[in-house]
Formats: sequence, structure tokens, C-alpha cells
Amino acid sequence: MSNLNAQEEGKSADWVPAGDMQEEISLEEMLKLPRETIFMTGSEAARESIRRANVDMAIAYPITPQSETMQQAGYLYDEGYIKDYYRAEEEIGAFSAISGASRAGVRSLTATSGPGLMRGMEAISSWPGARTPIVMLDMCRVINTPLAIQPDNIEISFLLDTGMLVLHGENQQDFYDFPLAAFMVSEEVDVTLPCTVAVDGFFVTHARGNVSIVDRKYKLPARDGWKSAVPAMDNENPPARLSRDAPIQKSNFISYHMHSSWQQEVFSAVERSAKYFDKYLGGLIEVVNPGADEMIIASGAAVSQAREAVRQEGEKGNKVGLIKVKTIRPWPRQQIIDAAKHAKTILVPEFNHAGWLHKEVCTTLYGHSEATIYNGPRVFGGMTMPTEMILDWLAEIRNKTGSKNLFV
Amino acid sequence: MLVQENLYLTRSATDGQGGQQFLYKVNQYGISAISRPQEEISQIHWDVEVIKYHETKTIKFDICHDTQLAEKTLTFYNDTSLNEFLEKAFEYFNELSTLNDMIAKNE
Repeated sequence: MSNLNAQEEGKSADWVPAGDMQEEISLEEMLKLPRETIFMTGSEAARESIRRANVDMAIAYPITPQSETMQQAGYLYDEGYIKDYYRAEEEIGAFSAISGASRAGVRSLTATSGPGLMRGMEAISSWPGARTPIVMLDMCRVINTPLAIQPDNIEISFLLDTGMLVLHGENQQDFYDFPLAAFMVSEEVDVTLPCTVAVDGFFVTHARGNVSIVDRKYKLPARDGWKSAVPAMDNENPPARLSRDAPIQKSNFISYHMHSSWQQEVFSAVERSAKYFDKYLGGLIEVVNPGADEMIIASGAAVSQAREAVRQEGEKGNKVGLIKVKTIRPWPRQQIIDAAKHAKTILVPEFNHAGWLHKEVCTTLYGHSEATIYNGPRVFGGMTMPTEMILDWLAEIRNKTGSKNLFV
Repeated sequence: MLVQENLYLTRSATDGQGGQQFLYKVNQYGISAISRPQEEISQIHWDVEVIKYHETKTIKFDICHDTQLAEKTLTFYNDTSLNEFLEKAFEYFNELSTLNDMIAKNE
């Protein structure tokens, strides 16, 4: 909030935005600072992340379960941690407007859930090519009929080939850590791409978990809009030629070549982002019990259920491995091949009908692994995934009973 | 934040409905405290059970509604009140354990 409109919104003349009193430090430095652990909701964890992210502009349209988080962001705007924030008319408007903010060179944040993401897909699809380093928080929920507001992450499958960076957080801690990394990586000169930080709605956003956070007196360095693959646009003097350039607009051999090379560059930039995420997230994947014959590969909230299954199998003397995939884009292909090369059995538990992670894993390991990759267990539409479901699958595979082989 | 004393295990709620389960253990008895997701954040609370562990290597327990601490599932709406209960429960479990030892010796 600027001092100019702060007074219009009832602040006193000597009001100082809280963000102005924070000290800028790099993310590398922030990661080394001591942390305090607080039991908080995922929405509150995201709020604390945004508080430290030096956000210039936030625009969103409310939708369950995202609304809770952006309400928290509203408090930050009131305190002066976010410089400007408004509720858009709907998602196409929200995502078009935030694109304008990002093109103007300011740090930009938006958020949505399931159907809201689908409504805004046209605008979202234009972000990577426009090289707008927007961070979008995506609290996943059911999008298909019968409609529900419960957790289901099928919407992530729609983002996989857009050219966006896509992170999938497991828990409240990830919803604090991942957005900070997302802002920094998306704004790297050799990346300059939007980044989605997805979590499974309700399980993360509307539940409490332990979150370790640094002192609120620190914030990330401000975005330098000129330090990017596509320099910031002067919105007072917009480059009218950009949208009128004949080779881009007309269907001819030049436009095809331009589009082709432009898209190649976008997807190369996705790959280039891997080295930064590796640094900030402590690896693109996390491996528990490396070298185990039985491995579970999961992302999001399914990781938490898999962790407990791994622990219970450990109690019984069975070593079951777990690969937590943190970055969906960039896809950690080589890391997964290396971590799963010893496996004989692989399960891919997911909270969606499509099994998009299973498809990614199969494509990655084809020709690199002798493992049987089982297509599940999967739940969707808000169904629960009890730990026993994963344990049952493991037991049936070992005993070669039941119908699980049908899903290979 | 909940007390860390006697905290035996923190895990994702195993029924898959989301949330965290904190298991405390004092000798054979303990407390299970689960915080689940709620559509209204203000309704997030703790579902608390007194539990009795099996004497096995794996973590197994029964819900115990026959102690003086609780004869039903308890609900706490903030960490402070739960922490106070936990402190009292730990004292109670220690006393119970001492009494059980005395009875065992007399037998």
C-alpha cells in the first residue's frame, strides 16, 4: 500500500508500511537463519511466506479453498507488506491483470483453485511465452462433475505443457518454503517464467501443521524488472509494435519459425530453472530409504500418507523406499531414474483420476528400469487415502492376490 | 505449539482425512491428539483420546475410556488448554504406573 492511497484507506499521515521496515536479504541468507516452529494452517504458512517475499502486486478472485489464503494476503496488504492488492472480477480478469503487472516489472502474486484455474487457462497459457515471472498459488480441488470442493489435483495435469514451472507441496511447511523459492527462481534472468506452487486444498490450506519460519523482519530483495529475459514494459508508453508485428500475427513461414524457436526457448528455460530449485529446495526430489526394492513415488499430500506407510512397513522390518517429487516442472527425470533404478516394484499413489504422475513416471523410467510400475493407488473427487490403502496394495502385490495386477 | 515432552510420534492422520496426529506416551498409557482440516478455519480443534499401548514393537493402541481422565473423546479448541491437559495427563499416567507397579508387587 503506498502512502498516497493509505490515507484514503484510513491510515494516519505518519503510517509507515511494515514492508518498508523489513531488511532485504537473499534467499540463500534467509535459508541459513534460525527458525521458529509454529503450528499453523497452510493458508497462514503461505501468508508468512508472502510476508517475506517483498510482493509488489497481488490480484486474485476468491474461490474455495483459495479464499482463505488470499484473505490472509489481504491482512498483509493492510499492514503494508504487499504494496498493492485487489480482488478482480473473475479469473480471466485476474490472470490478465496480473500478467500486466508482471510485464511492468513488479513482483506479482495471484492464487486460485480448481475451477478458477480452468476458467483462467487462456490467460495462464500466455504467461510463459510472455516471460512473466508471476507466482500463482494453486490450492487444488475437484474440477470435474459431480462438483465438489474437496482435494483432487487433476488440475495440475492441465499445467504440465504450458511452459510454467510447477511445484507440488506436501504440507504446510512446503507452502511456506516453496513460494519463496518460486519468486526467486522465476525471476532469474535465464528463467523468467511464471511458477505455480500447488498444494492439495484443505489438507494443507485448512489444516494445521508445524511450520518453521524465519523472523518477519527479513524479506527477499525486490524484483528488478530490467534484469530478465524480456525487459519490463513501460506501461506509460506501451510498445504498440509488439502486438502489431506482422511476422508474429500472420500465418506464414516466419511466424511458424518464430513460434517454434520461442517455445523451444520457453521449455529450455524450464530446464534451466532446475539448478536453482535444486539449490533452494535441497534437491528436486527427496528420497527415503534409497535402494529399496519397493518404492513409492508421490507428490503433494500423497507423500504424507506414503511416509506413514513407509514408517509402518519399517516397524515390521520391511524396507520400503519413497521418492517425493517436489518439482513437477522442471521434471527431475535423471534424479528419478537414479533413485528408482534398483526398484522392482513401484507404486504411484495420487489424488486424481487421470494418474498424471503415473504417466510421467512411466515415461521417465521406460527403458531405464526393470520395475513393475503399478497404476495406483488413486483416489479422487475428495475421497480419502488411508495409509492402509497403500499398505494393502503392497501386501497384495507381494502375495500376488487381489486385482492390483490389472492396473499395471 | 504443543508440548514436546513425552511426544512419541507425529504423523499424518492415518485415516486419510487430512491433518496431523500427535502421539504421546508415558509408560503404557498415552494421548492421541488429532487436528483435522475444517472448512471453516475457526472450527479447527483437537480431538483427544486417552490411549493404552499394546506391548508390541509396532505402534498399536486401544482407545481407553475407562480412566479418570476421560470417558469420551475430548475436544480442545486451542493449544494452551490442550497443553494444560497434557501436563495433568502425564502426572496421572505416572501415578497410575506407580500404582500398577505396587499392585503387581503385592500379587
